[in-house]
Amino acid sequence: MVTIDFTLNGKRVTVDVNDNETLLFTLREKLSIKSVKEGCSIGECGTCTVLIDDETHYSCLTLSSKVTGRDVKTVEYLGNIIELHPLQEAFISCGAVQCGYCTPGMLLSAYSLLLKNKDPQDEEIKRAISGNLCRCTGYIQIIEAIRYAAGILKQNC
Amino acid sequence: MFIGRDIDRIDVLDKVLGKPIFAYDLKVEGMLFGCIYRSKRPHALIKKIDIQDALSLNGIVKVITHADIPGENAFGAIKKDQFYLAGDKVRYIGEPILIILGESEKIVRKALNSIKVEYEDIEAIYDPFSSRDSTTLIHDTGNLLSYRTVIKGDFEQGFNESDVVVEHTYKTTWLDHAFMETESGIGYMDETGKIVICSSTQNVHYKRKEISKLLALPEDRIRVIQATTGGGFGGKLDMTVEGYIALSVYLTKRPVVMRFTREESFLSNTKRHPLYIEYKTGAKKDGSINAVKVNIIGDTGAYISYGETVCLRAAIHATGPYEVPHVFVESRMFYTNNHISGAMRGFGIPQVAFAHESQIDEVALLLNMDPLEVRMKNGLRRGSLTATSQLLTNSAGFLETLKKIEPFWKARKKQGLHTGFGLGCMYYGIGNTGVSNPSSCYLTFTDEGKIAFHSGVCEIGQGSDTALLQILLETLNVEERDVVLLRGDTDTSNDAGSSSASRQTYVSGRAVYDAALKMRKYLKSKGYYDCETLRGVCLLAKEEGLPVFEGFFDPPTSPVDSKTSQGIPYATYAFATHMTEIDVDKATGFCKVKKVHASHDVGKAINLKNVKGQIYGGIAMGVGLALMEEFVPSKTESFDSYYIPTSMDMPDVEIFIVEDEEPTGPFGAKGLGEPALIPQAASIVNAIKDAVGVRAFELPCHIERLKALIESEKDKWVE
Ligand code: FES
Ligand code: FES
Repeated sequence: MVTIDFTLNGKRVTVDVNDNETLLFTLREKLSIKSVKEGCSIGECGTCTVLIDDETHYSCLTLSSKVTGRDVKTVEYLGNIIELHPLQEAFISCGAVQCGYCTPGMLLSAYSLLLKNKDPQDEEIKRAISGNLCRCTGYIQIIEAIRYAAGILKQNC
Repeated sequence: MFIGRDIDRIDVLDKVLGKPIFAYDLKVEGMLFGCIYRSKRPHALIKKIDIQDALSLNGIVKVITHADIPGENAFGAIKKDQFYLAGDKVRYIGEPILIILGESEKIVRKALNSIKVEYEDIEAIYDPFSSRDSTTLIHDTGNLLSYRTVIKGDFEQGFNESDVVVEHTYKTTWLDHAFMETESGIGYMDETGKIVICSSTQNVHYKRKEISKLLALPEDRIRVIQATTGGGFGGKLDMTVEGYIALSVYLTKRPVVMRFTREESFLSNTKRHPLYIEYKTGAKKDGSINAVKVNIIGDTGAYISYGETVCLRAAIHATGPYEVPHVFVESRMFYTNNHISGAMRGFGIPQVAFAHESQIDEVALLLNMDPLEVRMKNGLRRGSLTATSQLLTNSAGFLETLKKIEPFWKARKKQGLHTGFGLGCMYYGIGNTGVSNPSSCYLTFTDEGKIAFHSGVCEIGQGSDTALLQILLETLNVEERDVVLLRGDTDTSNDAGSSSASRQTYVSGRAVYDAALKMRKYLKSKGYYDCETLRGVCLLAKEEGLPVFEGFFDPPTSPVDSKTSQGIPYATYAFATHMTEIDVDKATGFCKVKKVHASHDVGKAINLKNVKGQIYGGIAMGVGLALMEEFVPSKTESFDSYYIPTSMDMPDVEIFIVEDEEPTGPFGAKGLGEPALIPQAASIVNAIKDAVGVRAFELPCHIERLKALIESEKDKWVE
């Protein structure tokens, strides 16, 4: 058991974790962040995606003990009911959500992409979300949404 | 006003915020974790079960065997042939034997290794042909589950009159639903002593019925609630975790959670039926299809699930969306000791579409005709007789779907060296086959002065809640904010039937329309459409003891003849045409799907954005079926070896909607969920032939298989 502290969605948190505990487990079971989903537990589906220092990581493969001092973001960081992130707005308006199980992970992969690439081509978008499986949507409206949000974000700055 | 408008899904705001509560997100104080111990043998007698070591582990609370079941140890959507927990015999690897309950998931999973079962093996049967010939019986009733035939006209005469005949055999394999959320649920006893189950499911009323039998409790002692559900595609129609949780809650009086790991999901979930299809088509010089003879052999695995349904549905749809005067189809479903195959998006029709669309292209080739022209010539239309001699009188927009594609087909140009174009078409009967499959719902008012919409329909991601709401709003001429939706809960809704067979928009949509018409009359009588406010009407309604407006619809069908399957199996059909462009890398066998033109007759698009979403998703699954997905028993355990399409595998898609309105449907709507997938694999197979001259007779035509096909063709040239 070790005590770690890290930044979670902009706030400092301190939590006791076991040596082999995954970040997925810590977030869900100890910090009540249920938006982080498990779809496979072996790094194949992307539903457990989180951002660590703004890079995407599979939280099912990340040891919690390794995130000490780092900046962890989940979908809660992006926006809230009063102020949605343009990506969230675009996911809504483009029809990029069906069952919603992949959605938090998808949004985070998209967010991370747009931080690095303000004007991504479709191929770049596809690549950025290729580690996030979605069984419902066929990805097309997700890609549209990311392209659309990129446009909005560019206008805003 | 609301119909045809792209209103946002009603659950979407929560979903982009990561807020929805999926079953495994729920927590109840004092919850036990439950896990299933499963058979490691495909076919064996159980001689002895030793649970002592497991019971002695710290934190293990109970191990449940078949002997603990208070009611019937049997379930099944069509027939009750499956055991919750095996007693003396197991019939497939993965068959449940015990439930282990403990204080944490970790402890329970550890305890699985302490269970000892002694088996006495019986010869195992792994394919339908051995099943047919073997003297080993998987069930006392014999190894043949189901035999169905479709007979129309005289097929021998039909072939005699034909100028050309093509004949081939097509094979498909097991596929997994691979929904992103695995099977999960929780259960507890509420303060009134009711057993409450909240799970990831495609139906709630069916599950309540099963649990009532399992526990020998009246249905009103059981409540089933649908949690937010992370995809279904047919895989959450059967009992998954619900029975086990209910039994555990009943026996321990404690709340229980259960969730399958991905490995368990692959091991236990029903699969798409592997079908073996011998197909023969006879056509005349002018391109008219004159005779079709089909022999379908299917592997349903160890238990029925939806095996009989697939057997019949595949037979009925075997000729595809074409008018054929002489038809002879035989369809057989055999038991094996493989995984149970069940319902998966399309109920056998994506498999038969692969066969009939390959045949149509072969006919066109022999006659030197354009494949689109052959389809146009034979396509079902108003006035046509289907293979079951059902006269199509309404909503038959197949030719229109072809016409939408025609200009693109005519203008197609091969850009690359090994570019190919292929067509795939389909028709699909909406709702269950030749049986009553009603839906009901009711409307009333809330204390806050709103309309309460009580719906038993399970939203599994497909968008049914939103479509139903649009139908309600349009009929009542009220706003979204005037309605409260109470859904997916057996305590607050009537039975709407399962979210399957593409039936919810059509069947439940019509039931909602029915209820709404009644409420509309009431609103009118209270002056709502003149000057009275909804609040005012609600107050009046309250004084009258809150009237309830029930809606009901059962699609008009008739049972088909047991020998010939002639009859009216479905009240309405959806139609579609896909045209697919691919590029093949001849050296590696890699097939890149570049562009799909998809044209669908949906009757009426209630919500175009959601309609498109269904089509895109269906195309993705079709790409998987054609090129990637293959469940290999005892090998496939995870996404490591089961490939589903990623964003990189998706083509560009252009969608065309045909709205040939269905008079019995709500505002003319039919269904779409399965049709979106059905023609896709077929169109890819035809495009491969166009690109590199080889025809795939077995799916998936994955990279190695395609490479081998290309190479064998090369060898032919050398010879
Ligand atoms: S749960 Fe982490 S990648 Fe699937
Ligand atoms: S929306 Fe269902 S998995 Fe993506």
